[in-house]
Amino acid sequence: MTSPGPTGVAAAPDAATPGAPAPASRAWRRIRLQEAALPVVVVLLLVAGALADRDAFLTRDNLLTVLTQASVTGVVAIGMTFVIASGGIDLSVGSMLAAASIAGGLVSDQQSLPFMLGAIGFGLLLGLVNGVAIAYGRIVPFIATLAMFAGARGLALWMSDKTPISLLRLDVVRDIGRGDVVGVPKAALVFLAVTAIGWVVLNRTRYGRHVVAVGGNREAARMAGIRPRVVVASVYALSGLCVGIAAVLLSGRLGSASPVSGNLLELDAIAAVVIGGTSLAGGRATIVGTFLGVVTFGLVFNLLNLLDMPAELQQLTKGVIILGAAALQRRDR
Amino acid sequence: MTAPAPLLEVHGLVKDYPGVRALDGVDLTVTAGQVHCVVGQNGAGKSTLIKCVTGVVVPTGGTISIEGRPLPPGDPGAALARGVAAIYQELDLVDDLTVLDNLFLGHELRRGLVLDRRAAHRRASELLRRLGHGDIGPRTLAGDLAPAAKQVVSVARALTRDARLLIMDEPSAVLGGDEVETMFGVVRRLTAAGVGVIYISHRLEEVASIGDTITVLRDGHTAATGLPPATPRAELIAAMVGRPFTEMFPDRNGDRELGPAVLRVEHATRRPAVDDVSFEVHAGEIVGLAGMVGSGRTELLRLVAGLDGRDSGSVIVDGRPLPAGRPDLAVRAGIGLAPEERKSQGLWPGWDLVRNVSVADLRRFRRRALLDRRAERAATAAQLRELGTTPADPERLVDELSGGNQQKVVLARWLLRRCRVLLLDEPTRGVDVGAKSEIYRVVRTLAASGKAVVMVSSELAELVGLCDRIVVMADGRVRAELAGPTATEADILAHALHPTGAAAP
Repeated sequence: MTSPGPTGVAAAPDAATPGAPAPASRAWRRIRLQEAALPVVVVLLLVAGALADRDAFLTRDNLLTVLTQASVTGVVAIGMTFVIASGGIDLSVGSMLAAASIAGGLVSDQQSLPFMLGAIGFGLLLGLVNGVAIAYGRIVPFIATLAMFAGARGLALWMSDKTPISLLRLDVVRDIGRGDVVGVPKAALVFLAVTAIGWVVLNRTRYGRHVVAVGGNREAARMAGIRPRVVVASVYALSGLCVGIAAVLLSGRLGSASPVSGNLLELDAIAAVVIGGTSLAGGRATIVGTFLGVVTFGLVFNLLNLLDMPAELQQLTKGVIILGAAALQRRDR
Repeated sequence: MTAPAPLLEVHGLVKDYPGVRALDGVDLTVTAGQVHCVVGQNGAGKSTLIKCVTGVVVPTGGTISIEGRPLPPGDPGAALARGVAAIYQELDLVDDLTVLDNLFLGHELRRGLVLDRRAAHRRASELLRRLGHGDIGPRTLAGDLAPAAKQVVSVARALTRDARLLIMDEPSAVLGGDEVETMFGVVRRLTAAGVGVIYISHRLEEVASIGDTITVLRDGHTAATGLPPATPRAELIAAMVGRPFTEMFPDRNGDRELGPAVLRVEHATRRPAVDDVSFEVHAGEIVGLAGMVGSGRTELLRLVAGLDGRDSGSVIVDGRPLPAGRPDLAVRAGIGLAPEERKSQGLWPGWDLVRNVSVADLRRFRRRALLDRRAERAATAAQLRELGTTPADPERLVDELSGGNQQKVVLARWLLRRCRVLLLDEPTRGVDVGAKSEIYRVVRTLAASGKAVVMVSSELAELVGLCDRIVVMADGRVRAELAGPTATEADILAHALHPTGAAAP
């Protein structure tokens, strides 16, 4: 998944190239500046890390750690990619993550399977509430998910009585959060798997095409026989589902379900999607871009940590990256 | 009487773009107080000519003079200061501002630091009155105005800058027949006041009725100039296409057996736009929907396509009634709509042709839940080739295509879907003359292959030349049903303009 394959809705940047271009030049034509830029950024970060601290940074373990730490944001960002592709936004993912963790903890009865079903199921349910409010209640996504942002956090605090729930005896959940398969952390594997499935769904299924169609031109989609409301409702449910999966990963890593977890998760997820090249206006989306966006933030975080840089600097760097990516997107138009 | 220098004199204008010569020696002389029409196919150089005159682009060679004094090239400010103003096809008013604010946008009247709203209001009212439209309130939001009124405001805006040469690019594209008359009234008032007008239009009837003189552009040069407005249409078209204009419309298919009624609309009503409309369309038949803008044609098509609900009545395809407000079921039943607003409602700009064509029928490319992209590409490419789309490369972005070819992309979508009923809303709007006859040919071929076609058009010649039957609407009702081969434009107009039902044949 690390190579930037065809992202499906990639658009050629330049105007008409007369004549029949050879397949190679056509492929080249289709690579947008920004799509080429993000892999370059990732490579630069790797090189910078190697130069700064070769022994600690460019090791298999450290890179897998980056992937593992990015896995929660990553899984959520994949769901967010669908929401943004449809022309919407989901501000509630962080709060939903807390509520899903708590719901799972409450129904778990100290067992892993009920926890996972509870967390994922509740995430899906909250996402569906968002979707129905937006698609059928005709509330704009920003407001509907802002309400859920506040509401789900309140729900998490209320359900948990403001106390975290210990999950230390949930061996399977702990293992998903912290264990590994032949040295590869399971959380990283889950992230990779969600990314792969997201890529296939977005680029290779009728549903994925419909999502981007609705985001690109809702009226035209309706005339083409697509049901925009069903599609819109579904992407928020999908986002909730991803939040549920992320809740399992995070709770497993921490060994507890906390009502205050997931703070600022929505900003990280949206930032990763946007620097990846998915259009906030809808109609153009790339899962590979989102993946690279998540990895970019993960590498920056890791690198600055290794260099003992203060946390404020990480925030600052993140801001610069977002601004830079947005500037590149403008130039692509 | 000494001859004053002409208002605008363009001589030997050349503009090169990389690899293309857009203008290749254009000559044009516009006299104050006259309407100078410029016609030509898309790509003939009309837009480039305008851009040179308004200073938006720098010409490669040639001269432009206003009242005998040369205009510095590529200086929009200078052009504006010398009284050159342009009104573009896409009305560029800010919908959320009032008429007043739009009129003085960018050169607000001020007293010291604050806006002088009273003076602006006075001038706005006076200007609108001068244009014969004192009914437009300066405090109305621009977004609440009808297209024709917006155009009046655009003209007024040009006048707030003391325009002496007004360039109008396809001003009628957004207007209906009656609204065009309104605009003509405005234009005549302007010319009476000594303003020179360059009027660019695809609609040759308009050119004949509003123009004082006509210039024809072809392939970047002046093919003919100084033509009188009475120049026969066929001669104009001949000059535009560079070859004698013989056949615009393909032959009718003669007396062929019509298939069964595929689409039946019974007492369809959606007040106030559509009122008790009934008609049927047979397989292989082209039915035209004529009428003025506001007569309910577009609303009727939307209703048939399930896009809007209805108060009563039914839409029946192949004997099965369609529920209202469910376009997905209408598509499944075999209805395909090519909307008038192609770009905003029919296409995905930024997508390639493959996706634009296949979007309505992805189901057939599904192999075990996944899309077979090779099959998708092959099928859409074949469909586009069949319609003669250029460029035929299905991986081109749809934005790169001309209007006519974009229309073919929409048609290809419905052909791929094997739809049975095609609803075409102004299928040749914004399409140049050569491409129009292409579209006509395609529509005929589609009908011959058994599709039932319903076509809305404001170009009466098009309806007469193409349709087997013409349903004329006015005020949401059907006023007449005419046989295509024998109908005349005058017949249609008579019914369309008739305010009561008394005009039934």
